Amino acid sequence: MTVNRSTRTSNTRVRPSKRFPTLERLKEGWAVYKENLIGKIGLTLLVIFALMAVCSFFPPLIDPMYHPMTGVDPQISHSTWPSWRHWLGTDFIGRDILCQLLAGARIAFMVGISAAFMSIFLGTIIGMIAGYSGKILDTLLMRLADMIMVMPTLLVVLILSSLFGQLNIWTIVLLIALFRWPGVSRVIRAQTLSLKERPFIEAAKVTGASHFRIIFRHIMPNVLPLSLLYMTFRVTSAIIIEAALAFLGFGDPSTVSWGMMLQWVWKTGHMFQAPYWLLPPGICISLLTLSFYMLGRAMEEVLDPRLRKEVAKE
Amino acid sequence: MEVRKFVLKRFIEIFIIFFVILTVLFLLFRLAPGDPVTRMVDPTLTPEDSQHLIAQLGLDQPMGLQYLYYIKNFLTGNFGNSFHYGEAVSSIIWSRLPNTIILFTTSILLSAFVGIFLGKIASWQKGTRTDTWMTLGALVCHTLFLPWLAMLMIWIFGFKIGWFPLNGMISPEIWMDPSSGLWLKLLDVLHHMVLPLATLFSIHFGSYLLLMRSSMLDTLKEDYILTARAKGLEEKTIRNKHAAPNAALPVVTSVGISLAFSLSGGALTETVFSWPGIGRELVFAVSNSDYPLAQGSFLLIAIVVLIANLVVDVLYAYLDPRIRY
Amino acid sequence: MALLAVENLSIGYHTREGFLKSVQGVSFALAEGESLGLVGESGCGKTTIGMSLMGLLPENAVVTDGRILFEDKDLLKLSKKEIRQVRWKKIAMIFQAAMNALNPVHRVSEQIAEAILTHDAEISEEAAMKQVESLFQVVGIPPDRMRDYPHQYSGGMKQRAIIAMALSCNPSLIIADEPTTALDVIVQDQILNAIKDFQKRLNFSLIFISHDIAVVADVCDSIGIMFAGQLVEYGNVNDVFDAPMHPYTRSLLASYLTLDKDFVQLNSNPDETPDLVNPTPGCRFSERCTVAEAACRLNTPEWVEISPTHKALCNQFK
Repeated sequence: MTVNRSTRTSNTRVRPSKRFPTLERLKEGWAVYKENLIGKIGLTLLVIFALMAVCSFFPPLIDPMYHPMTGVDPQISHSTWPSWRHWLGTDFIGRDILCQLLAGARIAFMVGISAAFMSIFLGTIIGMIAGYSGKILDTLLMRLADMIMVMPTLLVVLILSSLFGQLNIWTIVLLIALFRWPGVSRVIRAQTLSLKERPFIEAAKVTGASHFRIIFRHIMPNVLPLSLLYMTFRVTSAIIIEAALAFLGFGDPSTVSWGMMLQWVWKTGHMFQAPYWLLPPGICISLLTLSFYMLGRAMEEVLDPRLRKEVAKE
Repeated sequence: MEVRKFVLKRFIEIFIIFFVILTVLFLLFRLAPGDPVTRMVDPTLTPEDSQHLIAQLGLDQPMGLQYLYYIKNFLTGNFGNSFHYGEAVSSIIWSRLPNTIILFTTSILLSAFVGIFLGKIASWQKGTRTDTWMTLGALVCHTLFLPWLAMLMIWIFGFKIGWFPLNGMISPEIWMDPSSGLWLKLLDVLHHMVLPLATLFSIHFGSYLLLMRSSMLDTLKEDYILTARAKGLEEKTIRNKHAAPNAALPVVTSVGISLAFSLSGGALTETVFSWPGIGRELVFAVSNSDYPLAQGSFLLIAIVVLIANLVVDVLYAYLDPRIRY
Repeated sequence: MALLAVENLSIGYHTREGFLKSVQGVSFALAEGESLGLVGESGCGKTTIGMSLMGLLPENAVVTDGRILFEDKDLLKLSKKEIRQVRWKKIAMIFQAAMNALNPVHRVSEQIAEAILTHDAEISEEAAMKQVESLFQVVGIPPDRMRDYPHQYSGGMKQRAIIAMALSCNPSLIIADEPTTALDVIVQDQILNAIKDFQKRLNFSLIFISHDIAVVADVCDSIGIMFAGQLVEYGNVNDVFDAPMHPYTRSLLASYLTLDKDFVQLNSNPDETPDLVNPTPGCRFSERCTVAEAACRLNTPEWVEISPTHKALCNQFK
């Protein structure tokens, strides 16, 4: 029998996880978040991009030539430098680049958030089930996760697109989600494993709660903050994968994404002559990714004291 | 020794994973919409040749037998013929493999070493401007879009300044010239490799830097660091000999985890730089509906990823005594 | 002539909640070969004192007052380089058994040899290893385990290795910080006996930090009871045990139920640790004390000499 009476003082304050009302936690979280410079920059950038996405609806209403896909300027039919008519210039068939950029923001948010949401949804459920059930189901699910994690998502989607023809944007989103859930599930599983042993779960079992109820009513709320955190990272990878796919020519031809714009620059040989066309989409992809990443890092600090210690236990 | 058992176990796991991938690919190619035959047999072949190929690949047989043919063909290295090149797929991808390996391995090793080294330094200088700049730099580089960075590199360093070639792995003039020595050829390849390597490096070193930095900061809080200080060791010794080896372990693990991502990045890089590797071949094959080549390239890439994972695992087992003993 | 003399030491920590006055005006002295036990509950400052002797206080700690005279030199005034030379060679530490005191990626023997090699510029690596071997013999670890890694050792063996490491440079003072906490009772006993034995044989001074007063009584010549950063009772261990004066000491001793002592009622909720950011101006124990008067909360308590080898910090006994 070991008597553990270590007298070392720990620096982390462990708060009971279920007693505080959600609003209190949100307020606290915001207070910590506000102090974080990285978080603030990230949030600011995100708001700017969101505004861009919203603004994407306006230009075509002003004049049909500003439509990102089909807009054709009657006077211009090749790539031109920025001018008053076209603030960022035109692409190789005379379409306005700024509109394309705005539309791209919309697509990026849509793809990023949907794919991230789906993969988190899948990953959380699978992670909870795996962690909670243990034994065979757990092993099976985790082996599956391992296999999926090993494969380069981009290349898998490539092969799939070769078989299924040109992919629709929603199919792309689904595929990305199907291949990105393993990362989340591992973390959620670890968290579930450590929660499983807690007294309040024992109590729930003793009072006759069904497994389903335990998982969704008791474990999920404690696991959710972690899921949300990982969602920000998933958004970045979803955006990058979609952009890479579009760049290689396998994106949805009816949507204008930043990756698609880069593909056009490249394929039409304007790489060296049209910096006004080459630079904006790339900068946008990078900045949007950066801002989500910063958001995630700042959120990590908010959620950190409670979660980092527990996640480490496996 | 424990390591052998560990390696064996991992090897078997990888073998199984590959088998599953192989099977899934088989099913996909057969079950996807459209006529599977057009996927395996070049539509431009003469009817007799087509028939011959169909028999060879067992496409007229029931699914179960087809699977056996498939496995047999795989084991004998027969992936069919490329629609586009007209040659055996196996010889094409085999010739591309070394090019990818060179670029890929070098970029990972370089990014990991430099990232770990700089991360270590950043952690020492925590809070100073050096640290802030390093962290910010790592973060920004990491989030740059790879194909875009590649294009920028080519534009600025290849086109505008003209220091480096715009694409490809070799300069045909040098390699065709019988009087070129080995050194010159090697230098030529290196010359071509600089920009792709720089691109890959920029994208990847950042994550290793950030990880090593936070790992060091965590490690420095450990009890055995207190012991080392109590023993009267210098700070430098403590950081390098006691903290760094421990801090580097999670980073090695992350190399393994990010291998898939690195390989995707490799394929993108190869495509933009026209570096003749398997990644580029896969992209081309898919664009040209060259199914045998696409399948073959994909399988080879899968093998590369799995073996790379194994290598990283073995390396980790070697570095962490808690696994070795 | 005292080997170590701590004079009016006060240490505080800068924390988010404020400035924590962790150690307040502590003074004691230690002669060569003497062993002193520092006893108190969590947070009373005993570990902080131990750390300050080795110059291992964390960055947010500040020594606000006092001197630590070791071999007539004030340790607090030494340069970084000088402190490094004092560490381990003159003053060594035996860490808590629960701690991760050994580096997982280095072999145990290497870690001990490192200590020897650091403080002896002329010794060769082989000679250092030979010393490690004999140390292992002394502490009772089989020599074939020398090349093992720390995770391969049991808790008791790890503690022995830590003791061997502390002894490696023949220090004149060893600080043992809860060396037996978190060990099995049987192993606890073995380790305690080992420490006692070494101390008698090698004649180093020992400061034994513990929250367990019974353990200290077994091992030490003198004892110092600490509460809320202050030394509240100090003296020869037999004197203090036979006639505990300070109410806190009495409650500590009384929590071990025996047949022949009075049962002292503890007044307050033992879960409340004393507030060290805004401590009670008078006696810091007055909140919990059963015999405290109103004056105790306001007046600084003074030392009362019960005998030349026993004193207590309390205004009740004047």
